Amino acid sequence: MKLEKDDLILLYRNMVRTRKLDELTIKGLQEGKVLSFYHSGQGSEGLAVGSAACLRKDDYLWGHHRGHGIGYLIGKGLDGKAFLAEHYGKVTGSCLGISGFHFAEPEYGALGAAGTIGSQFPISLGWGLAAKKTGKQQVVLACFGDGGSNRGTLHEAFNLAAVWKLPIVWLCDNNGMAQYTPIKDTYPKDDIADLAGGYNMPGVVVDGMDIMAVYEAVEAAVDRARAGGGPSLIEAKTARYRSHSEGSPDVSHTVTRSEAEIAELKKRDPIETFKIKLLKQGVLTEEMVDQINKEADEEIIETEKFSLDSPPPEPSILNKLIYAE
Amino acid sequence: MAKMTMVQALNLALKQEMAKDDSVIVLGEDVGVDGGVFRVTDGLINQFGQDRVLDTPLAESGIVGMSIGMAVYGLKPVCEIQFSGFSYQNFHQIENHAARLRLRSRGRYNVPMVLRTPYGGGVRALEHHSESRETFWAHMPGIKMVIPSGPRNARALLVSAIRDPDPVIFYESKALYRAFREEVPEEEETMPIGKPRIAQEGKDLTLISYGAMMRPTLEAAAGLKEKDGVEAEVIDLLTVSPLDDEIFVQSVLKTGRAVVIHEAPRSFGPGAEIVSRLMEKAFYYLEVPIERVTGYDIIIPLFSREKAYLPNAQRIIRAARKALSN
Repeated sequence: MKLEKDDLILLYRNMVRTRKLDELTIKGLQEGKVLSFYHSGQGSEGLAVGSAACLRKDDYLWGHHRGHGIGYLIGKGLDGKAFLAEHYGKVTGSCLGISGFHFAEPEYGALGAAGTIGSQFPISLGWGLAAKKTGKQQVVLACFGDGGSNRGTLHEAFNLAAVWKLPIVWLCDNNGMAQYTPIKDTYPKDDIADLAGGYNMPGVVVDGMDIMAVYEAVEAAVDRARAGGGPSLIEAKTARYRSHSEGSPDVSHTVTRSEAEIAELKKRDPIETFKIKLLKQGVLTEEMVDQINKEADEEIIETEKFSLDSPPPEPSILNKLIYAE
Repeated sequence: MAKMTMVQALNLALKQEMAKDDSVIVLGEDVGVDGGVFRVTDGLINQFGQDRVLDTPLAESGIVGMSIGMAVYGLKPVCEIQFSGFSYQNFHQIENHAARLRLRSRGRYNVPMVLRTPYGGGVRALEHHSESRETFWAHMPGIKMVIPSGPRNARALLVSAIRDPDPVIFYESKALYRAFREEVPEEEETMPIGKPRIAQEGKDLTLISYGAMMRPTLEAAAGLKEKDGVEAEVIDLLTVSPLDDEIFVQSVLKTGRAVVIHEAPRSFGPGAEIVSRLMEKAFYYLEVPIERVTGYDIIIPLFSREKAYLPNAQRIIRAARKALSN
């Protein structure tokens, strides 16, 4: 699908919203309002927003760990209220404020999240198989990181999805760092996408900091899956601006990543580079950029207020969520 | 009514539920063309086709994760893990997704899946092929752990498990698969999940067990009656978790004496929880300490010593006499 002017502006707007929500969540953690961990997604906004934009509302999504998947959810049409409230431990959160960030949004096909990286590989097969059976041409966007690519479950899932031609797009956010360990120490090749060849599925590498490159690659894979062509693997080379988890040291093994190193990563910033491109193309003007930022700031204030004003859950609800009534 | 083995009764349950409900899908290693290593899924692929009876690769995480995914979507997968000892490979999919998706989705997703798997000793198979580790699953809130004790209740409970909105781990005793036949009605029959039954009424002593151990337990009850004139009440749990203690607590309030029997290792086995419930709810009615007859805290031994490991009627009678001694 050729993107119209409004579509491009929406992609830009959603990246801005994602970044601001990420910053707000970090602030909340520093102020003691966010009760759980936070794994910032700054640097991956183009990948999250650009890939989710290729999905229909009824397509299935397992968002990536970074930013707790919020860029994907925003890309799919959600706002950040239930996200932040969940992190605040409030009853208006997507999981009633009891999970921290392991939530699901069924209306948007967002099936959940879990801190156990790689657990999504097998479960994604079930959505893919069910989607194929019902013939609704839904697809599954299953995200993981370079760290997740080291999991054994990846093989079981890649293999079965390929053998049964399931409509799954495996999307790898390779920011080069699994917690404190560089991927070069845990994977013997340059490109994780090379794994695809072993399963007879397409595997491509894209610049994950370029939202248009992401969009085009994911759209092609989604189209292929929808048409019955089976799974694909896309590896997006991204960057991680912050530490693995807020409050933990930003180190590669034990060596602190330098400011110069981070500044170098930020030269490829997905939001800034896309803005410059759209300004050049005349899709955006400086005034429009200011307006988008202003609206995103207002949304942030509203989101924070919503979360602050919400009550925590009653402990008694916990019993009701374990077994069906 | 036809007389059936447990294998035939389970096969009947699957056939009837698949015929009745298109969303029931069977999957696992060699369950299709081959019909399952124990023949429980025999003939299903001929009747329902490859779209509903899926032969999978050797990939337990994949099989179970796939089942969870399908269940979330609204299908009713029944997966087979060839031996319960192989299910440790899929442990994480059960504990992380099946048990938690309901909570994680604020109750908007249920996971109506069944994981069927043969468990327990008595067929002289080694290690993972003979274990009884129901505690792993019973210790997971969100999971239902069901263990039938004979062909008729196996059939009825499997039908109920398939229809249950929650994930059910369904242990089938290999030792019982072809041990005896029972009348199993052709017409539909279900049993409530989560409800124990009184297998035999009595007034002097309560024997509490489930699954394959119901046979030696009933044999012991018959021996006690014949040799000692003791009338034992025998409780068959059927569902290990969530554990409904009402029936066995009521029984012990009446008898004041109890023996708990399981083949799982002793420490932290289901018996520990059953005894705790009795201490909480029947303590002042107990005449003597509660006895446990269980497997030992070791890896189940190879066939030459399997009989030394598994509880039998003699051990149960010995424990019962101790419980009756004061």
